[in-house]
Amino acid sequence: MATKIGVYFDQSSIGGGLDLESLADTVGGKWGDLTPVCKVFPVLADKKARDEIIADIEEEGLDGVLLCGASPRVDWDLYEFEGVLVDRVNLREQGVLSYKNPDGSLPDPEAAPQLLEALVTDYVNMGVVRLQKTTAPDGSPSEGVRRVLVLGGGWTGLTAATNASLAGHEVVLVEKDEVLGGRALGLLKTVPLSHPYTDVHDTGIEKKIAAVQGDANITVYTKAKLAKLSGQPGDFTATIALASGEQEVKVGAVVLATGWQPQDTKVLEPFGYGSLQNVVTAAEFEKLAKNGGITARRVAFILNTALAEPADPYAEVCAEAPAEAPAPAEGEAAAPVVKDHESVRHLPISNAISSVVALKQAGYVCDAFEGGQAFILYDSMVVQGIHERFYKAAQDRLGVMMSKAEIRSITQAADGSLNVLCDKTLIGDDIEINVDMVVLPTGIVPATAKDPIVNFDYRQGPAFPDLELFEGYADSNYICFPYETRRTGVYAAGCVRQPMMLDAAEEDAVGATMKAIQCIESANRGVAVHPRSGDLSYPLFNFVRCTQCKRCTEECPFGALDDDEKGTPKPNPARCRRCGTCMGACPERVISFANYNIDQIGSMIREINVPPDMKKGGPRVVILACENDAYPALDMAALRGKHWSPYVRIIPVRCLGSVNAIWVADAMSKGIDGVMMLGCKYGDDYQCHFVKGSEICKRRKENIAETLNRLGVEPDRVEQYEVAIDEYDKLPGVIEDFMNMILEKGPNPFKGY
Amino acid sequence: MAQPVRIQPDLEFVKELQAVGGESLKKCYQCATCSVACPISPTSNPYPRKEMVWASWGLKDKLLSDVDIWLCHNCGTCSDLCPRGAKPGDLLSALRNMTYARLTQPTVVGKWLSSPQYLPILVAIPAILWAVVWMIMAGVNGSLFPQGDIVFGKLFPGDFTIDPIFMLTFFTAVGILFKGTKNLIASFQPEGRTLMLGKTKHWTLHLVDVILEEVLTHTKFKDCGADKSDRKVGHMILMYSFVILAFVTGVVAVGHWGGKVIPAIEIHTPMPLTFPVKILANIGAVMLLVGLAILTVRRKALDPKKTSSNYYDWYLLGVIWVVAVTGVLSQLFRLAGIAPVAYSVYYVHLVAVWMLFAYLPWSKLGHLVYRTAALTYVRAMGRR
Repeated sequence: MATKIGVYFDQSSIGGGLDLESLADTVGGKWGDLTPVCKVFPVLADKKARDEIIADIEEEGLDGVLLCGASPRVDWDLYEFEGVLVDRVNLREQGVLSYKNPDGSLPDPEAAPQLLEALVTDYVNMGVVRLQKTTAPDGSPSEGVRRVLVLGGGWTGLTAATNASLAGHEVVLVEKDEVLGGRALGLLKTVPLSHPYTDVHDTGIEKKIAAVQGDANITVYTKAKLAKLSGQPGDFTATIALASGEQEVKVGAVVLATGWQPQDTKVLEPFGYGSLQNVVTAAEFEKLAKNGGITARRVAFILNTALAEPADPYAEVCAEAPAEAPAPAEGEAAAPVVKDHESVRHLPISNAISSVVALKQAGYVCDAFEGGQAFILYDSMVVQGIHERFYKAAQDRLGVMMSKAEIRSITQAADGSLNVLCDKTLIGDDIEINVDMVVLPTGIVPATAKDPIVNFDYRQGPAFPDLELFEGYADSNYICFPYETRRTGVYAAGCVRQPMMLDAAEEDAVGATMKAIQCIESANRGVAVHPRSGDLSYPLFNFVRCTQCKRCTEECPFGALDDDEKGTPKPNPARCRRCGTCMGACPERVISFANYNIDQIGSMIREINVPPDMKKGGPRVVILACENDAYPALDMAALRGKHWSPYVRIIPVRCLGSVNAIWVADAMSKGIDGVMMLGCKYGDDYQCHFVKGSEICKRRKENIAETLNRLGVEPDRVEQYEVAIDEYDKLPGVIEDFMNMILEKGPNPFKGY
Repeated sequence: MAQPVRIQPDLEFVKELQAVGGESLKKCYQCATCSVACPISPTSNPYPRKEMVWASWGLKDKLLSDVDIWLCHNCGTCSDLCPRGAKPGDLLSALRNMTYARLTQPTVVGKWLSSPQYLPILVAIPAILWAVVWMIMAGVNGSLFPQGDIVFGKLFPGDFTIDPIFMLTFFTAVGILFKGTKNLIASFQPEGRTLMLGKTKHWTLHLVDVILEEVLTHTKFKDCGADKSDRKVGHMILMYSFVILAFVTGVVAVGHWGGKVIPAIEIHTPMPLTFPVKILANIGAVMLLVGLAILTVRRKALDPKKTSSNYYDWYLLGVIWVVAVTGVLSQLFRLAGIAPVAYSVYYVHLVAVWMLFAYLPWSKLGHLVYRTAALTYVRAMGRR
């Protein structure tokens, strides 16, 4: 709680013909003792200004500093003062730069119009009250176990374990099989992993195994599984199921490297798999090669799998309705339903890997026999990155022949050989190729598609959420946060995340290990890992008023909240990403952050000066803008010469998920004519930094609309918009349309009450 | 679905193709930049994209019956633009080389012409032939080099040696080319019957069109877009010098043999330098050297990463160089009166000329006939 706030204006970044001295006087007059210092600096970034602020803090005993000038996104690192709360008021981008008169004209730059003065005054007052309602967050450090749990002892897991150990961390490695090595053990050769990237070579998995086995920092459990993971980052308890029983280990973070399993061969039946002889999968062919058993001199590698796929493999499958789970008997908890995410789609999804594997295995055929012939029949030959060099080298081999082709049929000739009939080939005709063996691709099905693997002891269930969006892969579409799993402290690497080659898996393992270490370090200091890296605040619960409605526990996108039998939430701050979705969910307003809370934003809304007569003073509209995309987009629009209505007041929020319905009620009862909520795209291809925030907001908005309707307020006075950061140019138009709608509707019926 | 074609790759054939100039053919990844870039490729089934995949797959039958390789005039635009350095232009050139080698009997000659290792055999045959003539005449004359004025007829008498040997050689070559052309046209014929719609012309009229519209005017060379070199000029000068020299040879033959019947038209060799036929012959010789120089310089300037010159190219250029240089030097040494050198150089000249004619059906010079035939065929088939 800031009780003595110094308010400083930066003349150099505001301009606009505003009389800042008189503004400073007005603010000082209004807030009295709360703002003992109100000053205008010609240039705030000047060292003299900084020295003067430090002197003011000393002399006046300030505990808050409010800097009015450029957007808080600019020079944020310049203004830190020890032991004092600092906040910013955006008078440049969202004040002067974006201002336009109600008739659309631009103001005289030398003399600020009255509406601009009103706008700036509102923002400063809102800033003062915001700072007044802020306390310094203290962080919530947890136990701080510096031990990394690596799940999976294959290529990726071994790499992760070694790297975590090299970084000075203890490692516990859990492998389900009897021996370490995973699928890499079964490979005869690997696609080249180093310069010149042209020839296959041994994987070198033995070296990785030896490195792990010889490392005193790494404890290996084989024939083991993770039965349960409870607790929170920095303080997890992993229950490991061993042949000899269960064992509990404290760990700080988890690297998920459980790899993949070959897709069910049933999908390959249209190619004659199972009914014709010598039709095998790539995985089986690799095994054959490893055992020196290649006898086929002419082999067709089929990469075009359209024959096995429905016309549109991504269309919704109209499967029979899932059988109703029997209702649990009274008092008995329902067993969580584990969904199987394996589908025919894993075949096309694995194409990039299948392509390179076919090139490699075509080489096996040429190596095995002088004059060996390998036909690669593809729909799209996908070779990623540096593997293009391998493709070129493979292509240059005499016996390797490739063509785009659609497979029509595969039949067995009388002598046991196979005839592959294709059309739409590059050769120009429909062709028939006689071969000794047909090799079909192996779909890469992630371990997480079949099994919860981590077995979270979380209220929201044992598996990762939203796996159906990623075909069972423990991946996320956070392009900014790789290795993310939507469960803080667990980072995915290797084929469990995406189909990939050994080189990519190795890089993945290192990346995920670094995230795991970062997570442990953050948990130790009580700060958020990401996306609000370093944020010391965390949700605080005033349990006195909690009604155990469970909304917060259900809506938390990260499963941060467990609950007890009665339904009282049990926060796990280290799992939390500080989005505030729980705060937005709570009807009793029980949840708050030290520097972001219901009262604070509500007070800011109430600080807006609403003219009683809309015809004379114009309407007022509050914009609740998501800090991640919408707020910067507004800044960008202003910096690029866009303007918007002088009647809007913008308030940044952590995520639309944190918007509590009470704020809308506050705005409406204050007489504000409309509320715009600008947030991220939601749905299956969401862009929300917190996964569910904007989607949840949309749902809540429908409830709010209903309530408003009952009260006789048009529900479309409250609207939510999806904004991506690169859509800044569209924003002024969106605001314009909304304002026109409000002007047409007339004043909020509650105005003046 | 049409009757599928059974694919039987012939990897040995691919190796052979790689050996005669198509070594980069496997690098092709079928982007079809070549077919799009080619300024003279037809819009339907354009070359050389399809030839690249056929070659990579070792589809020998398709390639050996492909008329399109003769439509290409080898400007190198496709190879320049190829993103993979697969050199489609070189492949088509290699396929033509392959045709020279395989089209007619005795194919052993085709083999001898395909690689420099057999060059000694090719040289030895005429070298022995003319050495035998030389030795016989040396016996008759009583010395290795005849006395008195230098008259090459003293050592290599026209009536009894040069004319019969060359006439026999020439007409044999013509016969072989005729057979080769028949084989070539037969290889182009699609299976089954071809139904011609609309007006058709007799093939001889198409041949006249080809000669007038393409051969004599070199229009295709001009259309070969990106080729900014002097290839058209060089090739045209060379071709017309051959025409002039053939004409001069004809006139001299008629004058010599006809003179025995009608003395009025008799021509005596060596002709005086001011004699019109001699003047024309020397003009032809100079043009030959100029054309050769232009083509050789151009070939030397090619970027080997884009287009390479193969043995067939250098063999032909080399033989014509020897013919031209020894021809000119024979005359110069004769005029200078240096008998041993003049006779020796003339001997080399005869060897080279014989090589040019005798091996014509299997050498790159065969394109003179085969390309003309193929161009006539495509006109008759309506492929433009």
